Amino acid sequence: MEKRVGSGIVKMNHKLELRKVSKRFNTEEGKMEALEGINLEVKPNEFLCVIGPSGCGKTTLLRLIAGLDHPSSGAIILDGKEVKGPSPDRGMVFQEFSLFPWRTVLKNVEFGLEIKGMKEKARRKIAERYIELVGLRGFENCYPYELSGGMKQRVAIARALATDPAILLMDEPFGSVDAQTRNILQEELLEIWKRTKKTILFVTHSVDEAVYLADRVAVMSARPGCLIKCLGIDIPRPRKRTSREVNEFREQLLMLLSLERSKACISV
Amino acid sequence: MRENEGLKFLKRRGIIETIGICTVIVIWQLVASFIVKKTYLLPSPYEVFFAFYTVREVIPVDIYISLLHFSIGLAAGATVGITIGALMGGFKLIDRAMDPIMEILRAIPPIAWIPFAIIWLKLTHYSAGFVVFVGAIFPILINTYTGFKSVDKIYIDAAKVLGCKKGMSLIKSVVLPYSLPYIAAGTRIGMGIGWMCVVAAEMFGASGRVGLGWRLWNRFYALHMMDKLVAYMIVIGLIALLLDRIFRYLVEEKSLKWRKGLVAV
Ligand SMILES: Nc1ncnc2c1ncn2[C@@H]1O[C@H](COP(=O)(O)OP(=O)(O)OP(=O)(O)O)[C@@H](O)[C@H]1O
Ligand SMILES: [Mg+2]
Repeated sequence: MEKRVGSGIVKMNHKLELRKVSKRFNTEEGKMEALEGINLEVKPNEFLCVIGPSGCGKTTLLRLIAGLDHPSSGAIILDGKEVKGPSPDRGMVFQEFSLFPWRTVLKNVEFGLEIKGMKEKARRKIAERYIELVGLRGFENCYPYELSGGMKQRVAIARALATDPAILLMDEPFGSVDAQTRNILQEELLEIWKRTKKTILFVTHSVDEAVYLADRVAVMSARPGCLIKCLGIDIPRPRKRTSREVNEFREQLLMLLSLERSKACISV
Repeated sequence: MRENEGLKFLKRRGIIETIGICTVIVIWQLVASFIVKKTYLLPSPYEVFFAFYTVREVIPVDIYISLLHFSIGLAAGATVGITIGALMGGFKLIDRAMDPIMEILRAIPPIAWIPFAIIWLKLTHYSAGFVVFVGAIFPILINTYTGFKSVDKIYIDAAKVLGCKKGMSLIKSVVLPYSLPYIAAGTRIGMGIGWMCVVAAEMFGASGRVGLGWRLWNRFYALHMMDKLVAYMIVIGLIALLLDRIFRYLVEEKSLKWRKGLVAV
């Protein structure tokens, strides 16, 4: 695996760093602390899962990294440069369906390349490659309304990958598909990750999903969200969903989360 | 159970509809020839049919001229309406500055503009076109505005993450395509109103002695040729129907196919 710094060819040395990132929202009832003092370092080519109870600020965290929102304090640094706004070097798959309904699958995947000003032939070639990668060959000319939920998210993944981002931010991408499809999509995602060597930041509230996918799991507390623990998961892949080691990690994570929940109950 | 053969035939497309139309024509004929008995009050279908024959030479010219007025007005209304609607939908300041003016202008019936249309544009095709313009612009403008305002934030965010930076490219790649169904719906309403305005403007002679409306009022009504007048009314109605169907086919079937999943067409 390549880890040399400064070589132009290798695209996998991107380092993402969050330094004391906090986010406050101004709501009608006053200021609302959504994230508090998040310190996090994501290694190149790492598969990091972020897990936490609903409403703890996972989406907010990803939006900050994507540059769609700005931290109230602290800094997000990618490759030594502070993140100021959105850029195609950080791809994002959203929690809700975000495909452009007026574009076909092919045109959706081409979108980022079109914005870049790439010629039609070149971008079609790239788009077709990524559509193939997510297993949707033959659906290029379908509109999003003709796709199932799982297929839509696959297209969204292909669309995010097409601009060749350094980091892929994924916000509960499989949250709205059934359990079996979800398992298949997880396996496919690991395959894609292995083939494209991306850094992936994957938000979920499913312990199973986190243990199955991640190199490392970052556990967040209930509101205001802060990181309570990072747990490295050193089970070799392919992992068996029901193996003893997997279960042990699951238990650890569940414990951490239930501790969090009880704390949240007390503070309310 | 097998369906009765006769019933099956009746249920086929077009049969019931034809029966409906024929019934109305028959009733109309009976009422006209046995109850009213005056062409002046109610020309019968039979008379109207022959009226069509007697006006066969002027009809194509009148249709052509009226469609010309209509096209001028609709093209101008769509261009200006979409532009202003987009500006108001895209920029808060412009929205606030223009909103009261637009509300007031919108409340004025297009017909009330006929005097100024004639004074400003003389008796040219443009003056009837202007009245159509006034009638068509507001539904187009308001729908464009609504479309621009209702773009889902998720699409904007998705586009930004994919590299859309400038406002212009966001509008071109996201806001405009998102708004197209709204703009199309507005244009359809605008076309309906615009066609009414053509007839009204021509009745007042806004474009001189031409057009369906002009002949309907200044020839047929003035000379009490009510059979020909009804023939023209039917032509005017059919053209409106045809325009609407063509528009729906071109726009909704061809270019807005992607909306099938969002609304019941
Ligand atoms: N734009 C906003 N304005 C005000 N409050 C916001 C905004 N966005 C998020 N919040 C608040 O911040 C908190 C965290 O929201 P966020 O969407 O990040 O949660 P989450 O962890 O993604 O939850 P879920 O797992 O349900 O998706 C919530 O309490 C939410 O109400
Ligand atoms: Mg969320």
